[in-house]
Amino acid sequence: MSIKAKSIFWEVDNKRIIKDISLEISLGEVVSIIGPNGAGKSSFLNVLSGDIKPTSGSVSFDETNLKDISIQERSFMRSVMSQSQQIVYDFSVKEIIEMGWLDRGIASYSGNFKEAVMKVACECSVHNLLEQKFNTLSGGEQRRVHFARTLIQLWRPSNSHDPRYMFLDEPTANLDILHEQNLMKLVRSKAMEGIGILLILHDLNLAAKYSDKLVIFKNGSLIKSGSPEEVLQSKVLTEVYGLDMEVAKDPLRVNYY
Amino acid sequence: METRSLIKDLLRFTNSNQVFLLSALLVTFLFTLLLSISLGSFNFSLLELFNSTRDSLHTTVLYEIRIPRVLLAAFVGASLGLSGASLQGLFRNPLADPGLIGVSAGAALGASIIIVLGSSLFPSFIFGAFILPIAAICGAALVISLLYVFTRGFGYQGITYMLLVGIAVNAFASVGIGILTYISTDSELRGLTFWTMGSFGGASWYLILPAIIVITLSMLWMIPSSRKLDLLQLGEPEAYRLGVDVKRLKYKVIISSAITVGVSVSLSGMIGFVGLVVPHLVRLLGGVNHSYLLPGSALLGAGLMMSADLISRTLIQPAELPVGLITSAIGAPFFLWLIFRIRKI
Repeated sequence: MSIKAKSIFWEVDNKRIIKDISLEISLGEVVSIIGPNGAGKSSFLNVLSGDIKPTSGSVSFDETNLKDISIQERSFMRSVMSQSQQIVYDFSVKEIIEMGWLDRGIASYSGNFKEAVMKVACECSVHNLLEQKFNTLSGGEQRRVHFARTLIQLWRPSNSHDPRYMFLDEPTANLDILHEQNLMKLVRSKAMEGIGILLILHDLNLAAKYSDKLVIFKNGSLIKSGSPEEVLQSKVLTEVYGLDMEVAKDPLRVNYY
Repeated sequence: METRSLIKDLLRFTNSNQVFLLSALLVTFLFTLLLSISLGSFNFSLLELFNSTRDSLHTTVLYEIRIPRVLLAAFVGASLGLSGASLQGLFRNPLADPGLIGVSAGAALGASIIIVLGSSLFPSFIFGAFILPIAAICGAALVISLLYVFTRGFGYQGITYMLLVGIAVNAFASVGIGILTYISTDSELRGLTFWTMGSFGGASWYLILPAIIVITLSMLWMIPSSRKLDLLQLGEPEAYRLGVDVKRLKYKVIISSAITVGVSVSLSGMIGFVGLVVPHLVRLLGGVNHSYLLPGSALLGAGLMMSADLISRTLIQPAELPVGLITSAIGAPFFLWLIFRIRKI
């Protein structure tokens, strides 16, 4: 069971944003995309989630072409967290989290609604904020609420083995160090539960510590992919970012000046 | 399946406080309905409404004039409130209302054409009473078709684009109405002016029955989308990722608003501020989720419109004020307060 992207190309106004990228994300695996701004990372995530149709190439979820999966079925299989937009009306935190709840008309789901909301709220440590207005929260708190919403979208009864995937575009933006580490640990534990996870990260050390697989993008192309040890090499990184970088082993760490 | 999950959604995403508020609004609505039917240039006691023992003149006033008029006010108020609430949700803009996307202007242009040119275009007037509403609906439909063409099927260009198209359409319509005003005779001008101020005076059963059916159907089509409108508040891409067919939702909200507003405007003239103000009041009362907001706005819109009509009928008896004047007189200061409040946030 996996998501397979096969030689994806995407052009806008004759400008190639994504050039021939192939990638596989398996269940239970954390895959992180790294690379400089404008490398096509977010666009590629949008192709996988179905937001944009690639100019050529195909995306398949568990051997089914994404094109043949309805908008509603897609929402059951994958959840996405990206840079969020401003919310105009005064929703409470609880209401925002509940928006992620998809009722599938099955009793074993709907009966667990309240507990599921409480569980993700605790996991993201926003359980004390539930009754507050979302718009009064700080940027980091809002981010955690959106992450809770992304988690509850994939909620399943414990006996379910549906394949599930999660795409997170810079999930740690605006978070303090404690919440950053907590969120990444939570991501790992979700991978342990069997969710396949795609991350976009800017912090190379965070990516090195928590990923099973790293992918480097630059100018819309895939430069290198593999385990963090294989991908994080001084020469490659210096070339990609145009900044002197050194990689230390045990533990794997990137230093830059 | 559809209705069952709808009821579940309503229960799950509407809290007990909101259920109470909706019941209170319903009771207020029914009370206003009875009050509006019984008060006026002829007064009826509430008992009489149920067993009419009076002479035929009273019965005629009650059944042929009063009740259709009050019902029309209720349905127009409900449709303006509901479409205001759903358009504010769709555009994610608290200042949106049916006038904003040009639908009211289109209907007004259609009606104006008939008021000014009708006597020369349709000298025989076989369907006299129907021509004006039909022209107004055609005007509204034309605006929607234009919106559809310019936004390539309410496509993914985003909301701002559609608002800008709405502004352009509004400008076109006011040019048309301006020209018609310029060439109209004195009596036509009077008709035109009164129509733009709104009134329920012309209500009769054979005009309002089709309107009631159309408005009810269109509301029943709209209200089940409340959950999707909630999700849309996260942004169009987020709503899509949560399984909402955003394009279809836009299509649904705009078409149903256009139908209800087109029909309403065609029968009552221009009535300002109800679509804008009512959803805000409902939000202030009990919350912003659409499973509460949509039915709440329909109920409060109906109640307020019947009250405004009651004031318009009774304030300077036996003469009558245009109801649009009353709604605007109340709505305009509220609107200013709203802008002031938003700026402070």
